[in-house]
Amino acid sequence: MQKRFPLNKLFGYLFVLASTLIMVVPFLTTVFNSLKTYKQYMQFPPEWLPDPVKWSNYSQVWEQANFSSYTVNSVIVAVLSVVGTLLSSSMIAFAFARLKFPFRDTLFMIVLGTMMIPGIVTIIPQFIIFKNLGMLDSLTPLWILEWLGQPFAIFLMRQAFLSIPKDYEEAAKLDGCNPFQIYWRVFLPMCKPALATLAVFTFMGKWNEILAPVIYLLSEEHFTLPIGILSLRGQYKTDDQLLVAGALISLIPILIVFLFAEKYFVEGSKTSGLK
Amino acid sequence: MKKSKFLSVVGIASLAAALLVGGCSQSSTQQGDKVELYMGYTSDPPTKKKMEEIIAKFEQSHPHIKIKTVTAPYEDFYQKLTTQIAAGNAPDIWQSDGTKVFGFAQRGAIRDITDYVTKEVNKDEVLGVEFNKDASGKYWGVPQGIQVGALFYNKDLFDKAGVAYPTADWTWDDLKAAAAKLTLDASGKNADDPAFDKNAVKQYGFTFFGSSRGAFNIMKAYGGGVLDPTMTQSIIDSPENKKAVEWMADGMKRKLFPNPAELKAFQSNFKVFLSGATAMQIDIYAATTSMNGAGLNYDVAPMPKGPDGKRFAPVIANSWVINKKAEEQKVKAAQEWITYWTTSDEAQKEWAEVGEAIPVKKSVANSEMFLNPSIKPDNKKVFLDSLDFAGTIDTNAVFAEWLKVVTDNLAELFMDKMSVDDYISKTDQGVQKVLDDFFKKQ
Repeated sequence: MQKRFPLNKLFGYLFVLASTLIMVVPFLTTVFNSLKTYKQYMQFPPEWLPDPVKWSNYSQVWEQANFSSYTVNSVIVAVLSVVGTLLSSSMIAFAFARLKFPFRDTLFMIVLGTMMIPGIVTIIPQFIIFKNLGMLDSLTPLWILEWLGQPFAIFLMRQAFLSIPKDYEEAAKLDGCNPFQIYWRVFLPMCKPALATLAVFTFMGKWNEILAPVIYLLSEEHFTLPIGILSLRGQYKTDDQLLVAGALISLIPILIVFLFAEKYFVEGSKTSGLK
Repeated sequence: MKKSKFLSVVGIASLAAALLVGGCSQSSTQQGDKVELYMGYTSDPPTKKKMEEIIAKFEQSHPHIKIKTVTAPYEDFYQKLTTQIAAGNAPDIWQSDGTKVFGFAQRGAIRDITDYVTKEVNKDEVLGVEFNKDASGKYWGVPQGIQVGALFYNKDLFDKAGVAYPTADWTWDDLKAAAAKLTLDASGKNADDPAFDKNAVKQYGFTFFGSSRGAFNIMKAYGGGVLDPTMTQSIIDSPENKKAVEWMADGMKRKLFPNPAELKAFQSNFKVFLSGATAMQIDIYAATTSMNGAGLNYDVAPMPKGPDGKRFAPVIANSWVINKKAEEQKVKAAQEWITYWTTSDEAQKEWAEVGEAIPVKKSVANSEMFLNPSIKPDNKKVFLDSLDFAGTIDTNAVFAEWLKVVTDNLAELFMDKMSVDDYISKTDQGVQKVLDDFFKKQ
């Protein structure tokens, strides 16, 4: 007797197919838009497929937006920010989660409280501080604050540290570890998934950041990628198809980082729990 | 204990060193007899390239001046500039959007250059100088490029509908009559046809939105407006404005013009005309670059007349302004740059090549080079002729704020959520409040 295809499986497939389409169609539309001419891009109702296919949009945007040198700057900023956030925030979070000192919880509430202040409010005071420190028109203001701890990162890491059973800490103490060694050798390796999440968040945030680079950078040699892409916008005319092509190119590093970090998400879930 | 003391000493020392380095980095910008002029301007890749070429030529003919630039796309540039002004290190001279000049002036960011303008700028030679004069007679900037509004029309759509092109004699009612013939539903019936389906419009007759491209021009042609000549009082509550607003609301109801929600469907307001989905639109000279890029078959006509024969074209004189805090030497250098910009044929022609603005030097604006018949629109002279009846769009220190009140309320009106009378009274009060909040606290 022929085996019947289960109905619930069919619905499952249909559901997955529909969700895939919802995700994939906008992405494909973006890819197609990046290959259109300005004239075709402006058509309404829009045509889906590019005709003619203008691959040269990519080489044009690469040159016009000065991708090669801006990418280097963006990588410097993003990598330094990720390293800074992971180190400083996890260290602070460890103190909040595991060490005992006066006003610990009050201080933690204050740190969380700073998340309520909109970034835009502190822009001018920060600008003046960096100006007085002589750091304007350099990449430093774009990553240095990440080395001083980020409230959201501290919160995330503290939660991760809190979830680790006390037994690990005590065992490490018995073996003669000091608090730094407990943090570095025991807690950090156990929180790789949280660290990977944080790394991806920070990288994405910094990679796409626009306001700070616009405000702090003056010379072109320091510009980051988002400024390069946005510099294609004109006051009166913008070649949107080039903007889209630029945005797609700048997506590649984020994909790479994500694929790299994904390994740790899986690894993390495997090694959690007491043995 | 000792260790922590050591750390704090190192910390304080490095902070002190950093502050010292910071102090030192504000080094003198003057080397020898050379003055370093710090200049800001908005740009995209083509305008940036052109500006760099012009600056290089200026430096050649003015060897005692070295120009350092800061540039960014339009919005980012003003974001950066605002921070720089607040922190006290804004450029010595910058290119200001025409709608922002009085805002900078009334907030004390730029220098009153009345003296320089009256002595050094020849108003018979330079276009639009008067547009930077405030109600008290002070000049705050010198035009860098001029934008004038006109009626843009899609020739193909006119030809297809068999409607005659707009002429200089058109009134706004003539425009509406033509718009009705050019508004088509999905089955191709126009808005004059009793069977016209309002719910399935696929081509509009006329589009307007925003400030220089919007309702303001129609109100002005009807004898109304937004602000009085002192720019501190709302004049919205007037019978002329009411008539103008009724004219607009009627067109929206008949679906001859796309309403704000319908405009949104196009992603960008500009896309309606660029994609050939509307036959006419008010726009400024700069729009020609994107229209040419989209390969449109279009031309321009003067803005239509109001019921009493009054005509109005919006003008935005993007201008060079000088930082109020600039040192005297830099002010002089900045003025030399402005003089070069407004008098040099070479600079003016180079800039005109970008196609973004009408050259400010009259002789260049009237030259074959600018009126070049091989580049659309054919009737470029309309822009120059329109200057005769052009005016600013009531720009003052709170331009962006009052414009928001006007456009937000217009959107309500056009979406049929407000009556014309409510619109007039609410907008009048709203605009007056914005004005009072700023000017009465001064």
